[in-house]
Amino acid sequence: MFLSRPPLSARRARLVAFREFWSNYFGDNTREARGLHLLREWLSPYQREQLEVQGYFDVVGCDTGRKYRIHHGTAMNVHELDPMDRPKTGWCFVPHGSLVAGDVMLAQKIALETFEAGALSVARPFVPNTRLGY
Amino acid sequence: MPTQIVMDYKGDTRHYFDLNDPESLARAEKRFKELTGQGFTAAVRRGPGEVIKVSCFAPNAEETVFFPRLVGG
Repeated sequence: MFLSRPPLSARRARLVAFREFWSNYFGDNTREARGLHLLREWLSPYQREQLEVQGYFDVVGCDTGRKYRIHHGTAMNVHELDPMDRPKTGWCFVPHGSLVAGDVMLAQKIALETFEAGALSVARPFVPNTRLGY
Repeated sequence: MPTQIVMDYKGDTRHYFDLNDPESLARAEKRFKELTGQGFTAAVRRGPGEVIKVSCFAPNAEETVFFPRLVGG
């Protein structure tokens, strides 16, 4: 009969704690978060820093020595750069199937760094969007 | 523990195996052959950010990542 609801501040604190738990647990356990975590683990320290700060990272093709910039994304996100680091040609290639952005970007990095010619042989060229952070 | 990481629609699926357990090792080798046979690319890390593509099962690699064949977008 005299049971009363906890004060508003206590309810709010509980809600904040629950939200924090939800975000920490499920936020890190989504497939997108796991993909980005895996990508970060496989990048070099410099590439990791580039990704954190700029939202992209650069790789060097193993066959031609050309530089490519991989932007966050799952399609049309690879740009070949000219000697002034400006986008020259876009290359669209992705692993078959529905993969998350982190996994796609890691596959693109591995492909360009270990079998560049093979990756470009299946890629479709496109005119890059020059407004993408250059 | 050595891990095989397979990229798929679920994010990535991790398979751990024990180098000292012949059965576990055989399963890992079979998985490697099946995946590469399906067109998956296998790669291992050699140093920070340095990766190499492998065509043979590398039991001593700490992590082997597999991704499906590439297609033009």
